[in-house]
Amino acid sequence: MRPSSLLSALLALAVSARPAPAATTERAPAPAAATVTTVTVERERPVREKLPTLQFLRANRDFIRARFDRLREEPHTTRAGAADLDPRFLEYRRLLAQITTAKDSVTVASDARERQGVFTSVQDLAGIERELDQMERLLDAQRARLAELQADFAGRQRTELDVVVTGNTLAGRVDSVRVTLEDGTSFTSALTETQRGSLIHGGALEVFRGLAEPREQVVEVSLMGEGWSATGRGFVTLEPARDRLTFLKVDLSQASPALGIASLKASTWLLEPGAGTSAEADQDRP
Amino acid sequence: MDDRAPRSPFPTRILAVALALSCAAGRVAAKDATPFAARGGLELASAAAQSWSGDAVLVYVENDEGLNNDAAGTSPRWSYLFYSASQDRARVWSVRGGRIVVAENLDMRFDAPPIAAGWLDSGAAIAAAERSAGDEIRKLRGAHLETMLLMRGAFSEGDPDATTWTLVYRAPGAPALFVVVSAADGKVQRTWRG
Repeated sequence: MRPSSLLSALLALAVSARPAPAATTERAPAPAAATVTTVTVERERPVREKLPTLQFLRANRDFIRARFDRLREEPHTTRAGAADLDPRFLEYRRLLAQITTAKDSVTVASDARERQGVFTSVQDLAGIERELDQMERLLDAQRARLAELQADFAGRQRTELDVVVTGNTLAGRVDSVRVTLEDGTSFTSALTETQRGSLIHGGALEVFRGLAEPREQVVEVSLMGEGWSATGRGFVTLEPARDRLTFLKVDLSQASPALGIASLKASTWLLEPGAGTSAEADQDRP
Repeated sequence: MDDRAPRSPFPTRILAVALALSCAAGRVAAKDATPFAARGGLELASAAAQSWSGDAVLVYVENDEGLNNDAAGTSPRWSYLFYSASQDRARVWSVRGGRIVVAENLDMRFDAPPIAAGWLDSGAAIAAAERSAGDEIRKLRGAHLETMLLMRGAFSEGDPDATTWTLVYRAPGAPALFVVVSAADGKVQRTWRG
C-alpha cells in the first residue's frame, strides 16, 4: 500500500471511529470562539421596569373607537386601498423574460447548426466561434441572474432564535426539555434513548427554532424527568439580533438536581453572515 | 501570628467606587437616550411585527416620552402599534435608544385601517403645522407640543381615508389645541380646541 493510500485509510478509520450524532438530533453551526456570550440561567424570572405606552390612545380610547365605528357606517370609507407592488416581482418578470430570450437565441443557433450539418470552410469555423462566444455571454448573464436571485432569497435572514441542548446531566435523568417564550408559547422535546446517547457523545438537540422579536426577552427552560421536576425551571435573558439567527445553547454537562437549575450553562452566538448551512459541528462545539 | 486578612495590593475600594460610578453612568445614559424622529424606530418595530405575525400592518404611532423643543419632531421613545387581521389583535413595540424596550399586546380592540406608506416624518409634520397654524399656536401662551400621533381615518374630516398626523399643543389653564396635518402632503386639514 502506498503511503498516501495508508494515510487516507487511517483518516477514514479515524472519522468513522468518531461517535456519529443520531439522525434525529439536529446539528447547530459551530460558533466562532470570539462571538460566544455566556448567559446566566436564573431561578426567578427577572423583573423589568414597566414603561407606559400609547398614553394618548389609552386616555382617549372611547373617542377614537367611536370615530372608527362612525367611519364603518359610511360605505364610501370602506374601500380598500391598493397595496404597493413589491418591485422585486417586476424584477423577477424581467429576469424571466431575459431567460426566455436567451433560451430562444440558443435554440435558433442550435437549429441552424443542425441544418448546416458539416463545415466546409474557415468562415464556418469563425461562425462557430462567434456562436460559442454568444453562448458564453448568455451563460454569464444566467449566472448573474442566479446570483441576484440567491442574494435576494438566501440573503434575507429574518430575526430567528434557535435553542439547542447539549451534554448529559451529572445526575438525574432528563426525559424532556421545554422552552417557553415570553408570549407563553411552549415547545417540548421528549428525549429518546437514541437522542440521550447522542447528547452523551457530543450531539445537540434542537428544541426550538422560529421567528423571534429583536428585543431583550426572557426564555424559560424547563427540564423534566427523574430528579428534575422540582428544580428544573430556569430563566435566560437574551436579545436576538435583528435579521440574524441567534443560537441559545443550554449545556447540561455540569447539571445536577442537587445543584439546581443554576448548574446549567448557557451561551448565545449569532450565525455569521455567509456561514450558511455549511458550518459543520464538531465534538467541542455542537 | 498576624491573623489579619492579607492586604490586597489592588485598591478594591477604588474599584468598587469606579464600578458603582460606571453603573450609575450607564443608567444615566440609558435614561438619556438620543431623541429621534418617528421614522427612526420604524424598521426595528416592523421587524418585530413581522416576527409576531406575517400580516401585521402599522396602524398607529405615538410619542411615549416628551417631544424635544427643537421643532424636529424628536422624542426619546416612540410606540408603533401593529394590527394583525389573522390574529385579530394589536401589538405595540416601544423603541428607545435603538432598542425595543416594551412589547405588549394592546388590551383593547383596535382594528384600525393601515397607515398609508410614504408618510411624512414627525419633523416635517411640525414644520407644516407651524407654517399653516403658527399664529393659532402662538396665541396659546406657554403652549408646548405634548403629543404627536399618526393614524388613518379617525381625525380627518374631509377624507376619512387619509393618514394624518395629529399634534396636540397644551398650555396651562387653556384647552388643548389640536392640529391635524395630512401625512401625505403636509397640508393642515383642521384645527380645534378641546
